[in-house]
Amino acid sequence: MNGNLDLLRSVLGEMRLDLLERENVVATGIGYKVKGGERTGTLSIVCSVVEKVPAAQLTRRAIIPQEVGGVPTDVVETGIFRALQARTDRWRPAPGGVSIGHKDITAGTLGCLVKDDQGTYILSNNHVLANSNAGVPGDAILQPGPIDGGRNPADKIAELARFVTISLPEPAPPSDCPIGRGIASLANLFARAVGSQTRLQAVRPQAGENLVDAALARPLNMGDLRGDILDIGTISGVKHGELGMAIRKSGRTSGTTSGEIQQVDVTVDVDYGSGRIGRFTDQLLAGTMSQGGDSGSAVLDSSNNLVGLLFAGSDTSTIINRIENVFSALQVHL
Amino acid sequence: MTQEHPDEGAGELPAAREVKTRYEERLLSLPGVVSVGIGRSPDGRPVIIVGLDRNRPATIREIPEEIEGYPVRVEMIGPVRAL
Repeated sequence: MNGNLDLLRSVLGEMRLDLLERENVVATGIGYKVKGGERTGTLSIVCSVVEKVPAAQLTRRAIIPQEVGGVPTDVVETGIFRALQARTDRWRPAPGGVSIGHKDITAGTLGCLVKDDQGTYILSNNHVLANSNAGVPGDAILQPGPIDGGRNPADKIAELARFVTISLPEPAPPSDCPIGRGIASLANLFARAVGSQTRLQAVRPQAGENLVDAALARPLNMGDLRGDILDIGTISGVKHGELGMAIRKSGRTSGTTSGEIQQVDVTVDVDYGSGRIGRFTDQLLAGTMSQGGDSGSAVLDSSNNLVGLLFAGSDTSTIINRIENVFSALQVHL
Repeated sequence: MTQEHPDEGAGELPAAREVKTRYEERLLSLPGVVSVGIGRSPDGRPVIIVGLDRNRPATIREIPEEIEGYPVRVEMIGPVRAL
């Protein structure tokens, strides 16, 4: 066997350039010959071609001989080889799941395409496409995002169209009496539990509560976008996320990951940096399935129904806006 | 209603989400509480889940084990940030 392999290696070494020069051949190697779809036990020199063409349509020179140097050949169709593209690369056309970002941010994820009667848009988070409320309609959206090498205007794929403003109260001065705060809360909890009328006044949040971190960008050229989601495929519809539902996402940093909706009706305080905390209600919570840069990923169920828009997380959790809330806030649909 | 909200309480208990909504503001005002949501116990019953940024014994002591008939579970989820 080893002797045979050595023979094939030496023949391949001699014949490789000759074979690769033939029209259509994109690779040569050693492998078991396949006959009628079944692998045989015979080692052969395998020529990979872009496309299998009947011998009658080939020039004599392009035909790969049945045998070279006394060893059999095989021809397999592989198409053109491409270097595997990373999610942080420039993609044209660009699918969902790759790097994108407003010109002044680092990078997030291109979620998916959505529509209204004015046209088609890229959906992602406000903090990805609108720089956490700082963006202005018309601002350049780059694919890939700036931290992945996206430059303005060379990599501009879209312009910020509109976004839902996130209520982000300025950082509060540190409480001078955290213990007192705790005791008041405790008293409240139990006063309420027994239905007392004398409970202390409830603490009101400093500003409004949010439902979504969402924004739309208008593509410069629809031909620059694919409409599907990398590794996941085409979105089949929209579904209400429920406890225990199996979900998947395709994101810039951690790729395609899956999880399960572990909590619904979640109210959560999310850190937007510089001490700004936004409170979000009616969120979905899943386990570890995301990292920084995955923000804006579309979240789907196992039948490719769109369930949510990923925007935040911790070491052990992923926080997702309900897609119904996103669509209704932005007045869009699939 | 039950179709859309499988997290309803059984029998005479008010809906878990209604109870959660009434208590969440005060729970979230406790030091280190970052989230309040509804999950399921291993036997499928609704539970109120309180997420903490880290282990905080003083806060945990202030969180009741049960609110209006619903068990309360505390989980260390860590600080939540925009990704």
